[in-house]
Amino acid sequence: MTLVVFIASLLGAMAIGVPVAFALMFCGVTLMWYMGMFNTQIIAQNMIAGADTFTLLAIPFFILAGELMNAGGLSRRIIDFAIACVGHIRGGLGIVAIMAAVIMASISGSAAADTAALAAILIPMMAKAGYNVPRSAGLIAAGGVIAPVIPPSMAFIVFGVSANVSITQLFMAGIVPGLIMGVALIGTWLIVVRKDKVEALPRTPMKERMRVTGRALWALGMPVIILGGIKAGVVTPTEAAVVAAAYALFVGMVIYRELSPKELPHVILQAAKTTSVVMFLVCSALVSAWLITAANIPAEITGYIEPLINRPTLLMLAIMLLVLIVGTALDLTPTILILTPVLMPIIKQAGIDPVYFGVMFIMNTCIGLLTPPVGVVLNVVSGVGRVPLGKVTVGVLPFLAAQVLVLLVLVLFPDLVLVPAHWLR
Amino acid sequence: MQKAIDTFYRFLEMLLIFFLAAMAVMVFVNVVLRYGFNSGLNISDELSRYFFVWLTFIGAVVTFREHSHVGVETLVMLFGRKGRILCMILSNIIIIGVSAIFFWGTWKQAPINASMAAPVTKLPMIWVYGIGFFTGAGIVLIALERLVRLLTGRVTEEEIAAFAGENMSIEHLSERA
Amino acid sequence: EFNERNIRVSNGINADHPVGNGIKAMQACLDDKSGGKLKLTAFWGGALGGDLQATQALRSGVQEAVVTSSSPLVGIVPALGVFDLPFLFANADEAYKVLDGDFGDQMNKKLEEAGLVNLAYWENGFRNLSNSVHPVNKWEDFAGMKVRVMQNNIFLDTFQNLGANATPMAFGEVFSALETKAIDAQENPYVTIDTSKFYEVQKYVTETNHAYTPFLFLFSKPIFDTYSADEQAALRDCAMVGRDEERKVIQDLNKKSLEKIKAAGIEVNTLSPEEQARIREKSMVVYDKHKAEIGADVVDGILAKLAEIRK
Ligand code: NA
Ligand code: NA
Repeated sequence: MTLVVFIASLLGAMAIGVPVAFALMFCGVTLMWYMGMFNTQIIAQNMIAGADTFTLLAIPFFILAGELMNAGGLSRRIIDFAIACVGHIRGGLGIVAIMAAVIMASISGSAAADTAALAAILIPMMAKAGYNVPRSAGLIAAGGVIAPVIPPSMAFIVFGVSANVSITQLFMAGIVPGLIMGVALIGTWLIVVRKDKVEALPRTPMKERMRVTGRALWALGMPVIILGGIKAGVVTPTEAAVVAAAYALFVGMVIYRELSPKELPHVILQAAKTTSVVMFLVCSALVSAWLITAANIPAEITGYIEPLINRPTLLMLAIMLLVLIVGTALDLTPTILILTPVLMPIIKQAGIDPVYFGVMFIMNTCIGLLTPPVGVVLNVVSGVGRVPLGKVTVGVLPFLAAQVLVLLVLVLFPDLVLVPAHWLR
Repeated sequence: MQKAIDTFYRFLEMLLIFFLAAMAVMVFVNVVLRYGFNSGLNISDELSRYFFVWLTFIGAVVTFREHSHVGVETLVMLFGRKGRILCMILSNIIIIGVSAIFFWGTWKQAPINASMAAPVTKLPMIWVYGIGFFTGAGIVLIALERLVRLLTGRVTEEEIAAFAGENMSIEHLSERA
Repeated sequence: EFNERNIRVSNGINADHPVGNGIKAMQACLDDKSGGKLKLTAFWGGALGGDLQATQALRSGVQEAVVTSSSPLVGIVPALGVFDLPFLFANADEAYKVLDGDFGDQMNKKLEEAGLVNLAYWENGFRNLSNSVHPVNKWEDFAGMKVRVMQNNIFLDTFQNLGANATPMAFGEVFSALETKAIDAQENPYVTIDTSKFYEVQKYVTETNHAYTPFLFLFSKPIFDTYSADEQAALRDCAMVGRDEERKVIQDLNKKSLEKIKAAGIEVNTLSPEEQARIREKSMVVYDKHKAEIGADVVDGILAKLAEIRK
C-alpha cells in the first residue's frame, strides 16, 4: 500500500507539471503523512545533507570542464580530427560523427551539450554531401547519448553516490560498453546508407592530416588526463574533474585562444546553474529515498517479484524493460534518482554485481534520451540542426533499435561488461 | 522595484560564479599540494563542500525564477490554455507547500544545527543548513507572486509556453542531460 | 507497562558486522521483557543516511536510534574527541573499565545535554594500519606515506605529526584508491580490513592499536522521554545484553580476520614495546594541542583513571 502512495503522489504531481524536484519533495511529504510521522525536519535535514558530500563535487567540475571544452574550441578540433581520419570513407561523415561523439564522450558527461556541438557542425555538412538529413540527425542524437556511458559521467556519479557504489569502478566499467554502442551505431549506419547516393569527402592530404592531428592533440590529451589519472591512481574522480576543468581552461585560453577572459564568468555561471538544477534534484531525491527506505518499500517490491530473485537474467530483463518504459517519459537524472533507492536492495538480494547493474542502468536511461515523448537529445538535434522533431524521431529509429539490441546482448552476456571491467579495474 | 529585483539576482549570480570558481581553485590547489608537495590544506575539502551547498541552494532559487527546473510536460502539453493554467495554479500551490515545509523544517532544526560545529573549520552548522531559510522563502515568494498573477489573469503567454516545455533553449536542454 | 514501538536503528556498517549479532541479542532480550512489543528495525550500510546525519535526526526526534562511532560526533559533543586521541587505551580491558564506569557515565551526561541518550558502549575495536609501501616498525616509517583518515582534526594531526600525508577520503572510495595507489595506506579495525577486502590491495599490516573509538548505541532523547519507565529500563538493560554479545563476537572475529589477512599473504607485524613507547611519546603533542578543545578536565580525568587502572 505504501508503494501505491509513493507512486501515486509522485506521478500525480509530475503529471500536472510540478518540476520533478518539487514532486519528489511532495512525494516525501505524502509518505510521511501516510506513515503517521509527519515532521518537517525530515525534509530540511535530508535536503541539505544531500549536497554536503565531497564526492558529488565532481559534478560541478565535470560540468565546468564540458562547458569550457565547448567554449574553448576543443569540440571543433575533435570533429576536424575525425574528418581528417575517416571523412573520405563511403558514408564517412556518419563515422566521423560517432568517432567524434566517442572522443567527446571521454571528455564531457553531457549528452545534450555534446550532441549540440556535433549537430551544429555536422548536420549542415551532411546535408550538403547529400545524406538524408533526418537520418543523419538521428545518428548524431544516438551518438550523443554515449556521453554518459563513457566516463566522465555525471550519471555514474549520481548513481554511485545514491547506490553507494565506487565511482572509479563504474567509470572503468563504462568504457567498453560505450565503445560497443559506438561500434553498433557505425554498423547500423553503414547498413542504412549503403544504397544512398552521397559524395564522399576528398581524402585529406597527409600533411594536412598531420596538422589537424597536431592541433587536436591538446584536446585529445583530456581523456588521457581524466582516465589515465584515475586509472593510474594519481587522482580520485572529484580531483580528476577539477584537473580536467583546469586543463580545458588552459587549452581554450592559452593554446586555442578561443576563450577570452571576458567570456569566462558567463561560462562559469552557466555551469553553476546547471549544477544547481542537477543538485537540487539530487537533494530532493534524497528526501524521498530516505522515506522509501524508512517505509521499507524495496522489501514490499521484493515480495511481489519473489520468483524472479533467483533468476538474475530474467530479473535484469524485467528491470531493463521497466527502465526503458520509465525513460520514455522521464529524463536521465530523475530516472536514476527515483529508481536507484527502489531497485538497489533488490539487485543486491539477487546477487547481481552492482557495478554491472550500474552500467546497464545508465546505458538504458541514456537510451531514454532518444525515446518520445520526452527525449531531450532529440529536442537538441531538432533545435540545433533545424530538423522537425517528428522527422528526427523517425530518423533515430534504426539507431535506437541498435542500442536496444546492444542492451539486450549485454543482459544475456554480462561477461561482455564484467570481464573488461575487471581488466580495467 | 523591478530594477532592484534584477540587481538582487545579478548579485546572486555573482555569488554563484564566486562559489564555483572558489571551489574549483580550492580543490585544485589541494590536488597540486597533495601530489606535488606531499601536503594539503585540511580546510579546503570542508569549505568547498559548504560552498557547494550554498551554490546548490542559492542556484535553486535563481533557476526556479528562470523556469529551469526539470519537469515532465508530457500531459500538460496536451492541454489547452485553460487546462494549462489550472495545472499551473495547482503546481504552484504544491511548490509553495513543500517549500514552506522546507523553511519550517529549517526553523525547527536550527537550534540543533547551531549547536554543532564543523570538524575542521569549526563553523557552526547553522551557517550551512540555514540556507534552507533562503531557499524555502525565496521559492515561496516567487511562486506566490506567480499564483497571484495566475488567479488575477495576469499570467503571460510566454510563461504558459515555458510551463508546457515549449521553446526550450539549448542551455535549458543541457541542464537536463 | 509496554506499548507497541517500532525502533529504527541506523547503522553505517553492514548487517554482517558483529553489531548485527548484538542487535539480535538485544532484540531477544527485548522480546523477553516486553512480550514482543518493542521492535528494533535495523537499517544497514548508511541506508538512512550517514552516522552524523542520523545522529542529528535523533536530536530532533525524527528517528529513534543509531549505532555510531564516537568520532563523527565531536562537532556536537567536543568531549568525545578524547576517544580519538592516539594510543589512549593499551588494551580492550582498559577501555571496558573506563567506558562502563564513571568516566563513561560522565560522557553520557554530556550526550544527554545534546539530546542523545547513550544506552551502552559497544565495540568498534582497535584501529590498525595497512599499507602497500613498507613495513612500519617505528614512527619514522610513516614519513611521506599517503594515509587515508577520517575527516577529523585529531586523526589528521596524529598522522601528520608522524610525518605521514594524511588524506581525508570517503570510505566508499578507499578500496579503489588503495588499488590504484592513489593512497598508500588506511587505518581501520581488522574486521573492516577484512570485510572491505583491503587486504587484497595492501602488502603490510601493522598492529598499531593507535585508537579505540567505541561505538555508541544512541537513542533520541526527545523520543526516549516519551517512553514509559519500564520501556526505558528494558532498553537500557537489553542494550547491555547486546553489548556483551557484540563485544564477544567482535573479539572472535578480530582474531579470525587477522588470520584471514595473514593467510592472504600479508606481512603482519606489531610494534616492539620500545617503539610503542616512542610513538606514544611522539604523539603527546596531539594531546596538548587538542586538550582545550576536548576539555582539560576530560583529558586529565581519563588519564587519571587510566593511571589508576594501570597501577
Ligand atoms: Na562522458
Ligand atoms: Na525518453
